[in-house]
Amino acid sequence: MNDRLSDVRAWSRDLRDALAYPLTSNRRLLMAGIATSLTYVVLVLSTFPQFSMQVLSRDVTDLGFAVATLTRETYLSTGWLGLGLVTAYALLTGVALVSTVTLVRRARRQSASTIVGIIPGLLAAGCASCGAGVLGALGFVSAMAMLPFEGNLLRLGGIVLLAYFLGQTGDPRTCTI
Amino acid sequence: MDEEDKSVTRRALLAGSVTLAFGGGVAYLATDSGGSEDDYRPASFYTSDKTTDFGNGVDLTGRPIVGERDAPLDIYYWTDYLCPFCKEFETKTLPEVGRNYLDTGDARLVMLGYPNIGEYSEPAAVWGRCVWAQVAESDPMAFWNWNGAAFDAQVAGGNDWADEETFREITEQTSGVNLNSVEECRASRGEAIRRNLDADVDVALSAGIQGTPGFVIYNRESGAAGKLVGAHPYENFADALDQVREA
Repeated sequence: MNDRLSDVRAWSRDLRDALAYPLTSNRRLLMAGIATSLTYVVLVLSTFPQFSMQVLSRDVTDLGFAVATLTRETYLSTGWLGLGLVTAYALLTGVALVSTVTLVRRARRQSASTIVGIIPGLLAAGCASCGAGVLGALGFVSAMAMLPFEGNLLRLGGIVLLAYFLGQTGDPRTCTI
Repeated sequence: MDEEDKSVTRRALLAGSVTLAFGGGVAYLATDSGGSEDDYRPASFYTSDKTTDFGNGVDLTGRPIVGERDAPLDIYYWTDYLCPFCKEFETKTLPEVGRNYLDTGDARLVMLGYPNIGEYSEPAAVWGRCVWAQVAESDPMAFWNWNGAAFDAQVAGGNDWADEETFREITEQTSGVNLNSVEECRASRGEAIRRNLDADVDVALSAGIQGTPGFVIYNRESGAAGKLVGAHPYENFADALDQVREA
């Protein structure tokens, strides 16, 4: 019981260190900011891939229109909770990417096995933006109707997996093994 | 506090402010309706028992059609009463499309079902078809009013608003629509209507439509067709309609 409690404490301390890691240099902070923005744009556009493709292939400068329209669509479909989860997911991905870059650089110098440890974290993305459009693109016409809480549970799952990955990583400059 | 600590605090403040601004921007985009709603009433609204030549054929029986019978362009419009994008189209883009293409006799809009958003999407579509069946010949504008009221009932943040009670209330309150007749239709013809909705979805899928609102613009004379998916601005519709008309 005490072991488990200290595990949780260690994990939350590592999560805090991981979240603070982008603050350790201007370059890392900028990288996290860019990665967060890009992730948000990709997540929102992927809620309705067919619409996004049509708008962007017609005029690539309509990116702002597509992002604004699909942000509103995400809010209308899933509420503040859904939109908040997508935003939180983008922020965590920004942090995770900066950590991953550091880990990959270290792994290249040390052993390849660390990279194997990173991959599940990167793939643990879950479907943070699954909407009717993305499920439609996969051929599931009414799959959205079957997702609990308009897909918010799935989004939460993605965030939990990312937080778990960050908590495992901690400050990527220090060796946790 | 040493220099490194000061830098971290400075970056933390910057990151916090940027995160707040980012969240604020997202919230602004979410609540900005991007234009005003427009109360459009079509000049012509009718029913047909024909099947068009598009794809393997689009059966028009029991589907509401806006526009003139002999309009050279068909706009097949797949919709879902639970779809926020469909509401955006109906309240912001359709009025302009209606005045510039439907009321002028250039195109007609065929309303097809594509229940895909929530559990009540299909029952909602059945309500719509039963209302149409009741008023199509006698008072088609009553369906237009019912259709508008159904989209008005949408609430942001989920599909919980869509249930038996809400649609019964909308039907009861729409002038010219008899709730008992609609209920009778749902009970006796529900299964057949669901098969018709499946047929609509099959046409959509074979045309590559992967969500709502979905549109195929079809030139009945030349056989040319174009596809639009999502709540595109009016200019995109106008371009697509003009292109298919000239093709």
